[in-house]
Amino acid sequence: MTQEYNVKGMVVKIKALRKNAEALKEISGGIPAVDKNADRILANVRMLEIDISDAAEILGK
Amino acid sequence: MKNGEYWNPVLETMPREKLLQQQLKKFKEIFTWAYENSKFYHKLYSDAGIEPGDIKKFDDIKKVPKIEKSMMRSVQGPGKQNFPYGDILSVPLEQVTDYRQTSGTTGQPVYQADTWQDWEFSTEAYCYAMWAQGYRPKDRVFVPFGYNIFIAFWAYHYAGEKLGCEVIPGGVLNTEARILKMQELKATAMGATPTYVLGMAETARGMGIDPIKDLYIRKITVAGEPGGSIPATRKRMEDAWGAKVYDQVGSTEIGHWGWECRQQAGLHVNEGLFLVEIEDVNTGETIEEPGRKGKMVVTTFNRMAQPCIRFDVKDIIQWNARQCECGRTYRLLDGGLMGRADDITKVKGVLLSPMAIEEVVRDIPQLGNEYQVVVTKKGDIDDITLKVELLPEYQKDQAAIKAKLTDQLRLTTNLGYNIEFHPYESLPRSQAKSRRFQDQRPHH
Repeated sequence: MTQEYNVKGMVVKIKALRKNAEALKEISGGIPAVDKNADRILANVRMLEIDISDAAEILGK
Repeated sequence: MKNGEYWNPVLETMPREKLLQQQLKKFKEIFTWAYENSKFYHKLYSDAGIEPGDIKKFDDIKKVPKIEKSMMRSVQGPGKQNFPYGDILSVPLEQVTDYRQTSGTTGQPVYQADTWQDWEFSTEAYCYAMWAQGYRPKDRVFVPFGYNIFIAFWAYHYAGEKLGCEVIPGGVLNTEARILKMQELKATAMGATPTYVLGMAETARGMGIDPIKDLYIRKITVAGEPGGSIPATRKRMEDAWGAKVYDQVGSTEIGHWGWECRQQAGLHVNEGLFLVEIEDVNTGETIEEPGRKGKMVVTTFNRMAQPCIRFDVKDIIQWNARQCECGRTYRLLDGGLMGRADDITKVKGVLLSPMAIEEVVRDIPQLGNEYQVVVTKKGDIDDITLKVELLPEYQKDQAAIKAKLTDQLRLTTNLGYNIEFHPYESLPRSQAKSRRFQDQRPHH
């Protein structure tokens, strides 16, 4: 069933989400509203990695 | 099966051989994390002479020492590092965002730390369950439970939100107020313990509200007690509410590792996020074949603040031979949680599981939902008393019901009981985990 989905494409976008959220924290200047919202985004990115990216490695996608 | 049936088809329909590779990879990751970041685990593994590089194939997992609740307790509490979590903590204390604790029914509670990412993981695991049970954004989900320091129904609430359902916190309302609010808002689903699901139906009827005709609940997720996987108890709940009832299992230390899908064919182990092993209670031998009972040893792959690796839970389970028609490749358990290794006790020299008694009691429609089992010793002889409630309209049939109950218990458990009939609704009822089995023998 996994072949019906663009897993490879999703993995690329998930990586980009992580990169962007981490980059946002780097330029936040320590603004709590930015850092803490970025942390929450990164927690959700981790769920996407667990759900999709980690499995893609095993599936060879 | 339509793709829309799965929360995450990539994991849930992964071919078995790939799923096992995934589990080995995930096990290595959490093992390495704990070895490097938790003093508790580092010492445990160093003392056993095992390190991350030693986990090369699936069978190597069995070399990893198991942990028990008592081991967690021993490193936690006042005077210990990282109060109250102790050396099991694997992240800086300031990264902890959520505190929970076990109920402490078997001793001092275990304190459970979660980072926000860990809590997202717990929620995510529950999303798999609720989606599989047919929860969708159109559902209005009522949570008739007083949220507190225990894990119960927190993740159900958060997962309901994540799915896009409308979630109504029943919190500190009493049972009557909860029923009226469910009626007013036309709630379509709820989550509670089996005991409370049955108790709410009784209360509603006492208020002149028929749960089937006057309420709108069509899906119920039950947790905290084994009743959801006991056919007679499930039937009582479904008959009382006119709703589908789905079992869900998890714990504070582990997370939400198993659930029934809409097929109601047994508990699916969420093998994408957890590793469940079954061991022979006496020999420790790994059980792979279906239909043979053993105790559960479980690993949570992605909970980082307080890892749970090869946790000897002492719950008794068995594999089911069936492949579920839902199309998931996750294995099924047969009969849900079948009791606890420390609950299954010898009475008069016979192994007795309290769940076997529940199956008999709940299968006799003239009896109420509640019961209690008390084991005592008279001289050198064990004595079992079963307390049940007879529905008021069947008082005249007491002798016949007693004879039927005695026969069925003898047939199912191979033991004789003193049967006590108590007035309807007089035995204790609980919203949380019910303790219906009391072993009052010396040294028990």
